[in-house]
Amino acid sequence: MLDMLFTGWGAFWMTLFMLVPFAAIFFYVVYRKSVTDSGPGTTPPATMSRIEGIWLAVVFVVFVGVNLGSLKYMPTIKAAHAATSNQPLHEVDVSATSWAFDISNRQIEAGSTVRFSGRSKDTMHGFAVYHPDGRMLFTMMLMPGLKNPTTLVHTFKEPGKYKVRCLEYCGIAHHAMQDELIIARNN
Amino acid sequence: MTIATAIIQKTPIFGKMFAVDKSTGLEEINAWPALMIMASFVWLVVAGLFGFVMPATQIFDLNTDHFYTTLTLHGAALAFPFSFQLMMGVGLHRSGGCVGKGVTGWLPAMAFIAMNLGAALLTVGVLMGLKVSLVVMYPLPLVGAQMGVWSMNAVVVGFSGIYLVLACMILLYPILVIKMLFFGKKRPDLVLSERSLNDPGMLGMILSALTLLIAGTPLVIVGTTVMAALYGIIPMSMAAWATEPVVFQYAFFIFAHNLMEAMALMVMSAMYATLPLYLADGTRKLFSNKLANLALWILLLTSVTSFLHHFITLTPNQPAVLSYWGNIMSWGTGIGAAISIFTVLATIWQHGLRAEPGIMAALIGWVLYILDGASAVVTSNVAWSYQLHGTMWQSGHTMTVIVAMSIMWMGVLYHHYPVITGRKLDPVLGSWFVRLFTIGGIGAAVAMLAGGAAGMPRRFAAWNQEGWMFYGNLIVIFGLILGASFVVYMYNLMKSREISAPMGEMARA
Repeated sequence: MLDMLFTGWGAFWMTLFMLVPFAAIFFYVVYRKSVTDSGPGTTPPATMSRIEGIWLAVVFVVFVGVNLGSLKYMPTIKAAHAATSNQPLHEVDVSATSWAFDISNRQIEAGSTVRFSGRSKDTMHGFAVYHPDGRMLFTMMLMPGLKNPTTLVHTFKEPGKYKVRCLEYCGIAHHAMQDELIIARNN
Repeated sequence: MTIATAIIQKTPIFGKMFAVDKSTGLEEINAWPALMIMASFVWLVVAGLFGFVMPATQIFDLNTDHFYTTLTLHGAALAFPFSFQLMMGVGLHRSGGCVGKGVTGWLPAMAFIAMNLGAALLTVGVLMGLKVSLVVMYPLPLVGAQMGVWSMNAVVVGFSGIYLVLACMILLYPILVIKMLFFGKKRPDLVLSERSLNDPGMLGMILSALTLLIAGTPLVIVGTTVMAALYGIIPMSMAAWATEPVVFQYAFFIFAHNLMEAMALMVMSAMYATLPLYLADGTRKLFSNKLANLALWILLLTSVTSFLHHFITLTPNQPAVLSYWGNIMSWGTGIGAAISIFTVLATIWQHGLRAEPGIMAALIGWVLYILDGASAVVTSNVAWSYQLHGTMWQSGHTMTVIVAMSIMWMGVLYHHYPVITGRKLDPVLGSWFVRLFTIGGIGAAVAMLAGGAAGMPRRFAAWNQEGWMFYGNLIVIFGLILGASFVVYMYNLMKSREISAPMGEMARA
């Protein structure tokens, strides 16, 4: 369930989960109090206070719940898991220049855990990896002039051709800054 | 007659929409704001035209160069000379009427000139080849010149424009607001609706002016250093510290993020001031002023440091602790928004609502603002940020927040328009504006968020892959409806009718 939630589409449904009830209540209140019955409300102050308390408690619980649930999916937690497990960590260095990537190893075995270390040589670039089905797996921001690379640990589970795209606007050929990773079947 | 009134009178088409009513004795709080509002609508037309060319380049497979040109011009025109200038004009008129002080002297004139000359220079720079997107993407301007993609002259012209726009937003406008609210003598003849500084309808004005000034100062220092080097006033080596990408990017986003938050504070404040005027039982009071003020303070305190969420995917170059801080503070703004939601809905529930087009536009803009807030906190979560950063989700967020706040200001303007011009707007056209905007605004926002969820990159001139053109088409359709709503609003301004009773007296009633 949480695996589905912390994806791009999970974010979309989460936004709608927050928005749709709000919009429904908003349109109900506005319609009711401007068309059906625009007279002064008869709800006692104590009831209004109770509604206020319940509403803020719900918001607080949702906010805390979502953020606690997301901890497992944060890259630093994944990196810590990778560091403490016995699995070998494959290092892949990425160097970005307008408008191409130099990737130290484009052939990776499925099931491998990879640490991508990215740098930019000129302007802001992104390093985003897309699953063969088109969804984005992750993106990294590569800023020039930094001493250390931007890093991220990822385990590729399925074989296939994974598209790489730059997601930070970098000039007139930004859309052409693409590459590919080949995830081979694990023998 | 002031210079501002004379300029409006001499401007074709738009001048007719905002001709200042000189019979009320309120010209001192109306003239410069009216000129700023008029100019903002000129820029809206510019932004709209570029906004339609942008997807057309994708649909008709035109030169990608045109896409990046229109992308930069559309975003820049919409965010600064339209949205910010509209806010500046309506906000200054409101402040003047609340504290009884005129919007006169060199400060409003300088703010107007800096904003419009700056935006015009930036446009010229972009047409000379500089395509850096709405957020400059530093150090791209210099790298592009080094690569020969555009000339250094284009960089100097474009940067000069950006510098003037920033000078308006960070220095001139906030100083003008602070001067009006804290200094000078009140003139009873200019008071339309007296408010104390503790009133939620005024508190947001002060908080936002201070936010712009404080959060923008580092960028002014960095920008001034870069400009001095570009003009050869100081050697480039002396500006090396300011041209470091990490320095420029952080200074830029501390300001750019807080600019949006400041605009949100200001528009929430205007909403708190306007809603009570449309309550059915005539109480003219919010459900709770204390709750309204609490929401503004929470929004301010949480938003100041939430800009760190812009750099989550830079980890470990941005320490993880700062990314989490940005995450938590961003969700903290949601608590402020939740209190605002309760205050607004409880006010309507307890006192009823006269659903006139102006307040309905402000309320629908507010709904869109809440939608945008939900999308913003989601993408500020560290885990989600890695899935969404750099996608159309972010463009949807930026577009939505700018459009939502603009619509709220257009709703508030609907309320103030008769006082400024002595004319009233057609309620039927006003209702059509609200309907079209509701469909177009919410539809475009949801389509862009869906595109981002599907991995569609932002600022990307190749939509025709991975099925992204579907979202592109939806964005165009809803964008056209949104554009139609603006056309209806401006047509309403054109067709406004004169009011027989003296407007100054009616406004004070």
